[in-house]
Amino acid sequence: MAIINYNPNLSLCGGTPPAPAPAPGAAAGPATASPSIELHVCMGLNACKGHDRNGNNNCAGTGYCATATRHNCQTLNDCHGQGGCGLYGDAEQQMLPGANECAWQGSCAVPIQAERYSTLGDNTKKSVWLLARKLFEERMMKAKRVVGDSPFKCGPPQNWLTFVLGSYDSCGNSGDKRCSFGFNNPDDHGKELCEGKEE
Amino acid sequence: MSQNLFFSKDSDVTPANLGDAIQQAIEIEIATIPVYLYTYYSINRSPDQDAISGALVQELVRAGKSTAEASAIALDLSADIMVYANKAGALIMSVAIEEMLHMALSSNLKQALAGLPELVGKSPSVWPACLPGHEPEFPINRAKLSLDQLMTFLKIESPDPLPDPKLLKAPIPYKTIGQFYKMIKTCIKDNDLPYNTHSPQLLPGKGYYAQNNIDTVYYDKEHNPHFTNAPDSGDLLYVRDRDSALHAIDCIVDQGEGAPGADGLNPDGSVNCGKVKPADYDDFDKKELSHFEKFAQIYCHYKTLDEKFNGLGIGEINISDYFVVNVPLNPSTAHYPAHIRPVSDFLNGVYTYLFVMVENCYVQSGNTQYETFMFGIHKSMIFILNSVCGDIMKLTYKHNGHEYVAAPTFEDYPFGLVSSPKSQLIDLYNAAVAVYPTISYLGQRVQDLPDVPLQNGGIF
Repeated sequence: MAIINYNPNLSLCGGTPPAPAPAPGAAAGPATASPSIELHVCMGLNACKGHDRNGNNNCAGTGYCATATRHNCQTLNDCHGQGGCGLYGDAEQQMLPGANECAWQGSCAVPIQAERYSTLGDNTKKSVWLLARKLFEERMMKAKRVVGDSPFKCGPPQNWLTFVLGSYDSCGNSGDKRCSFGFNNPDDHGKELCEGKEE
Repeated sequence: MSQNLFFSKDSDVTPANLGDAIQQAIEIEIATIPVYLYTYYSINRSPDQDAISGALVQELVRAGKSTAEASAIALDLSADIMVYANKAGALIMSVAIEEMLHMALSSNLKQALAGLPELVGKSPSVWPACLPGHEPEFPINRAKLSLDQLMTFLKIESPDPLPDPKLLKAPIPYKTIGQFYKMIKTCIKDNDLPYNTHSPQLLPGKGYYAQNNIDTVYYDKEHNPHFTNAPDSGDLLYVRDRDSALHAIDCIVDQGEGAPGADGLNPDGSVNCGKVKPADYDDFDKKELSHFEKFAQIYCHYKTLDEKFNGLGIGEINISDYFVVNVPLNPSTAHYPAHIRPVSDFLNGVYTYLFVMVENCYVQSGNTQYETFMFGIHKSMIFILNSVCGDIMKLTYKHNGHEYVAAPTFEDYPFGLVSSPKSQLIDLYNAAVAVYPTISYLGQRVQDLPDVPLQNGGIF
């Protein structure tokens, strides 16, 4: 989109309104529709079989990739439970990766790379993905679901995401941890986060 | 900006002029924001370490070092530059964020004691600018990072009167921002004032303010993150009585100048690069430095690095060449060439619309205010303003034989009253994208903004 038009009826909800659904019986596409899948924010956070981006995972917690819309920062998530966390947002928001209340309330990018850490709240300096997985496992415990291992124990490494997705970007101007400077070994830092240590 | 001096030289803050005084405080806070942001955007926080290191190795080998020696020195020094560039950016951003907090706290104060705060059209319009009412006046530029610019920052945040004996002989309305706020405090303490608790304010606990984000973090050489703000240094505050009003003012003053007993510049006007004192912190846990001390740290670190590089025996080195972008001094949109002007107008429209939305938060409460703040103000700051600041800096132009990188000018855009500010913002976007299609990804973000009217009858 380049040129845009002002419409006084578009405020906050924004964007072009979806086209109205066709009347029942109208010739508007196939008779069978794909069932909806739950939208989640990252690897290892799927509640059901077949609910990862590839649709071929076996059970809860084993999916390879997010089904929620990929985005690169705070307030860009579409709906409940579809925001990443860490890097931006207040202390309360940063404790809810993949568990935000509503659209635009997630505080960082989706998917959540393994190297990301929280910048405020009780999880400060610790892995965002591990917190997301903890919240997910608690939810599954309530739902009495068996949860399998995530393909990567601590979430998808940024290098892997870049390889798989073609590119990967999360917000922030504070340097790129993967190609950082001096005497940094990003793999070591990733391991420390994975062990639950502070960054 | 109408830089009114609201007081005669020897006047006090009284219940009669308290509203004007608080409005002046708001404008002092607003005046700092474009200055800090301009310098922030002049810093490349992630310069090319290989390029820095490679250039140093060549010079060091030419000066007689072995390749191994030169490589070791170059790795170490280039890492110093990487740390410094990122640290300077983080510290300046941490201050800019707190200036926005101060603007909101002062606005809460005005809402409680004197009516709607006025924010739109209050950014400086003449450059060099000055702090409204500060004496002695000193010039404030939108300039790239340098020791001179950092000295200006230190003057803005100085806890002591500026050491200029000639100027200090003149009677002055206020000598430091802290002293100005003290006049307001005295008025609040000494008078039984009514507090308006019915009108909306920007309140804590709603996610409006976050002390740190990834832009306030920098890494040391070992890549350990350092958080430049502290969770306990301050937050939004509901001004509803005398105690909360005084608390809001203390937060502003402590964050800016440090606790009582903090030192300013040396008597000769130089910067004290000695050990940090407890009073230089603004929080209970002593984890966050005051604005003045943060700028002193950047200033002193710059000097140390500069001496280190210039002691290598490889000629004169200006370390800022490694990480500071060559943006112009005090640019204006009107003087930009045709391929930049519409982009700058759009950027200024977004900048001004932020103030329009903040003003609106003082007439709306509940979920309307929440949505305006979270989805209008946050989105505009991070996903439109910050993005277009980065995009405009990909454009260059020539002036008097020198090439410059275009920079955000942070001028108030004069929204008219004939149509809504958002519709005018869309027009600005359309004009900008026509000359610079790179920003087309911003169209939907602009479209998504709340449609908010002007509150105070327009800017001009």
